[in-house]
Amino acid sequence: MSLKPRTVDFNQTWDTLQETVKGVVTLGNVPRAIWNDRFSDVYSLCVSFPEPLADRLYIETKAFLESHVKSLLDVVKSKGEPSLLQAYHSSWVEYSQGIIYLHRLYLYLNTQHIRGQKLSEAEIIYGNVTPNAEEQMEIGELGLDVWKRMMIEPLRENLVSHLLEEIHKDRLGNPSHHLIDVIRGVIMSFVNVEEYRKSQSPELYQQIFEAPFLQASGEFYKREASKLLQECDVSQYMEKVTQRLEEERLRSQRFVHTSTHPKVKAKCEQHMVADHLALLQSECHAMVVQERERDLALLYPLLRSVQGGINVLISEVMEHIKLKGTEAIAGIRGDNYHVLFIESLLAVHNKYRSLIQNVFNGDLAFIGALDKACTTVVNTRPNPKMACRSPELLAKYCDCLLKKSSKGISDTEIDEKLFQSITIFKYIDDKDAFQKFYSRMLAKRLIHQQSQSMDAEEAMIDRLKQACGYEFTNKLHRMFTDISLSADLNLKFNAHLKTDTIDLGINFSIYVLQAGAWPLNLTSLSTFSVPQELEKSVQTFENFYHKNFNGRKLTWFHHLCQGDLKLGYLKKPYIITMQTFQMAIMLLFEDTDTMTCSEVEQALKLSQDVILKHIASLIDCKLLLSDISSENLTPESILKLNMDYSNKRTKLRITAAMVRDSPQEVEHTMNAINEDRKLYLQAAIVRIMKSRRVLRHNALIQEVLGQSRVTFAPSISMIKKCIESLIDKQYLERTPNSPDEYMYIA
Amino acid sequence: MADEDNSSDRVDNETPKPEKMFTLKKWNAVAMWSWDVECDTCAICRVQVMDACLRCQAESKAGSGRQDCVVVWGECNHSFHYCCMSLWVKQNNRCPLCQQEWSIQRMGK
Repeated sequence: MSLKPRTVDFNQTWDTLQETVKGVVTLGNVPRAIWNDRFSDVYSLCVSFPEPLADRLYIETKAFLESHVKSLLDVVKSKGEPSLLQAYHSSWVEYSQGIIYLHRLYLYLNTQHIRGQKLSEAEIIYGNVTPNAEEQMEIGELGLDVWKRMMIEPLRENLVSHLLEEIHKDRLGNPSHHLIDVIRGVIMSFVNVEEYRKSQSPELYQQIFEAPFLQASGEFYKREASKLLQECDVSQYMEKVTQRLEEERLRSQRFVHTSTHPKVKAKCEQHMVADHLALLQSECHAMVVQERERDLALLYPLLRSVQGGINVLISEVMEHIKLKGTEAIAGIRGDNYHVLFIESLLAVHNKYRSLIQNVFNGDLAFIGALDKACTTVVNTRPNPKMACRSPELLAKYCDCLLKKSSKGISDTEIDEKLFQSITIFKYIDDKDAFQKFYSRMLAKRLIHQQSQSMDAEEAMIDRLKQACGYEFTNKLHRMFTDISLSADLNLKFNAHLKTDTIDLGINFSIYVLQAGAWPLNLTSLSTFSVPQELEKSVQTFENFYHKNFNGRKLTWFHHLCQGDLKLGYLKKPYIITMQTFQMAIMLLFEDTDTMTCSEVEQALKLSQDVILKHIASLIDCKLLLSDISSENLTPESILKLNMDYSNKRTKLRITAAMVRDSPQEVEHTMNAINEDRKLYLQAAIVRIMKSRRVLRHNALIQEVLGQSRVTFAPSISMIKKCIESLIDKQYLERTPNSPDEYMYIA
Repeated sequence: MADEDNSSDRVDNETPKPEKMFTLKKWNAVAMWSWDVECDTCAICRVQVMDACLRCQAESKAGSGRQDCVVVWGECNHSFHYCCMSLWVKQNNRCPLCQQEWSIQRMGK
C-alpha cells in the first residue's frame, strides 16, 4: 500500500469502514487483517486528493455513534425501570471498552487532524481564547461525549434515584450484594465519561450524583442521630456513631469517587457530632473524673473532628490531673517526706501520661495539658509567703538516691529513678533553688565520700545539663573536676613524701577545692590552732603545693576535715572517725582527765559556739562526761574523759551529727538564692534598659519576667525592689514627665 | 611532733614508748585554693579572677567548661586575667589601675 495521497471515493470507503466501526464498538470479532485495512482507510481518507476528507469522516463517525447510542438507550429503556441500573451498566461496560478500541482505530485522524486544530494548554490558560464549542474532539472523547449527551442526560434522574435508593438500603443494613459492582460502575461512569477533560474535578459527577448524594447522606444521618439519641445513653451513642463513621468510610471506598470521601465524612460528623456537640461536651466532666477510658477513647476522635470541639475535653483533663496531683501530695507526712512527695508526683504523671498515650493517641495538646497541670502542682506553695519546697525536696530525693545509704535497690533502678526525677525537674519554676540545694548536697557527698558511684553522679549532672544548659551545671562540673584533680595531687604528694623520706606520722589525704565553684562560705571559718599532731602535715603539704603552683593561696577548711583517732586508754582499742574539731578536743585529754569548756576554748582558739557544739556532740556519744546536760553547757562546765567508754563495735564514726542538714542551713540556702536572684534581676534590668534607654514600668517588668523564666519565676515586688535599688545606685532614673517611666543613665 | 605518734605499725628508729592514750591514724583534709590577689575582681572584664574571664566563658560555653584562664601579676602587684591583660597591652603597655609600665612579675599556675 502506498502512503501517497490519492483520490478516494468517500462513500465507498465509509461503507466498509462503518461495518468495522460497528463491530469494534459492539466488541464484535474483528480480524486483524480487516483492522489493518480499515486503519489504512482512515489514513487515506485523511490525506486524500484533491481535498482531504477528514472532516467528513469525523461528521459521519459522529452521526454513526449518535445513532448507535440512541439505539442502546432504547434497549436500556426497554428492560424496564427495576433493572435500569444493570441494563445501563452492561451497555456502558461494552460501549466504553468499544470506544477505547475505536479511538485506536482512528489513530491517524486523532493525532494528525484533530490534535493539530486544538489549542495548546498554554493558549487556553493564558490567552483570551474561549474554546470553540464546535471544536472537533478526538474519537475517544467524542464517543464519551455522545454517551453523556444521549444516554446519561435522558436517564440521569432515574439513574441517580436508583443509586441513592441502593445506597440507602446499604446503610439500613440490607444491601443488594449482587449490585455492588453495578452501583460502583454506574457511579464511576459519570466520572469516566469526562476523562478527556483537562480539569481535575469531575464536574458531571459532582453535579448529577455527588450533590444529591451528599444531601441524602446529610438527611439520613440527621435522622439517625436524633433516633439514636432517643434510644441510648451517651456511651452507646458514641459507640454507634463511631461504628457509623467507620461503615461510611468503607462504603465510600466501595462506591464513590475518592474526592467524595472527605465530603461525606464531614457530613456525617456535622450531623452526628457537631450538631450535638454541647451534649457530648457536657458529658466530658463525668467521663474524665471517673476516668472512663473506653468512653474517652470513643469521645476523643469524635470531638477532634469538630473545629474547637476538643478544647473542653483538654481543659477537663488538665483540671483533673491538677486535682489528682494535689491530692497525691496532700496526705504525705513523716521522715520520708521527700521520697514520697517526688514518687507520688511521678506516679500521677506516669499514670496520666500513659492514659494520654493509650486513650488520646499521645495527642500533643493533651501532653501540653499534662505539663501545665504538673507545673501547677509542682510549684504550688502551701503558704503564699513561703517559697515552694519542691526544689529542695527534689534535690533531697536525688541526694538519697546518690548516697551510699540507699540500700536494697539495684544500680539500674537508681538510674531509672534519677532519670524519672528529671521529669519533675523540668516542671520546677525555681530551677535556681534546686541548683543551690543540689550543689550543696553534692558538695557534701563528694567531700565526705558518700557518693554511691561517680558514674551515677556524672550521668545525673549530664542530664541536668541537657535539660538546662551549660551555665546551670558549670559549677557542678568544676566540683567534679576538683575531686579528680585532688586524687592526682594526693598521688604526687605521696610520691614526694617518699622521695624526700618525710614521715608525717599519719595517713594524710586532701581535697583541694577551687574557690568560687563550691557552695561553701568562707564566713563560717573560725580561727583554729591546729593540733601539733597535724601541724607537720599542714606545713609539708603547703610547701609542696606552693612549689607546684604559682600565685595560689590555700585556706584550710577544718570544719570539713575528718580523721581516725585511735583510743588506747580503754579495755579495747577503738578507732573512731571524727571531725577535726572533735579530734582536737579529744587530744587535749592526753595530759589531763578534766578540763573546763573555757580551757578547751583557749587551747584551740575556736569560737565559743563552735566549741560548745562539738563538746556537746562528744558528750552525746559518751566519750566525754559532764555533770551538765549537753544542751546547757556553759564555759565553766567541767568535762571529764570517760574512762569506762565501751561500744560493741571497735570502729565507728561520730561525724553524722555534724553533717546533718540543719533547718538554719535550709534557711541559709534560701537566703543565698534570694541574693543571687537580686543580682540576676539587677543585671537583667540594666541590660534591658541599656538597649531600650527609656521604658515604661510594665514593659520593663514583662521583659524581666521573660528573661528570667528559664531559671526562676521572680515576684513582682522583688523586681520593683531591684528597680528601686538601681535608681539609688544611679543606674536608672524616673523620667521627669511620667511617673512610671524609667531612663537609663549612661 | 613526730614523737607524739607511736602507732605500732610505724617504722621508728627510736625505742617504742609506752602506748599513748590517743593516736592519730588518718586525716582527710579539705582546703580551698584561690589566687593570692589583693582584689578578687579583674578590673578589665569585671569578672572574679577565680572564674574564667568573660571571653573564655563565652567561648567555653559550648565546650568543656573552665579552660586554663589563669591570673597574671604585674610588678605593681596588680592582678588580672592573663587573657584580658594580653589584649590590653596590645593597646597600652601600662597597668590599667596604676598606669605604671606593665611588666609581668609572675603567672598563676
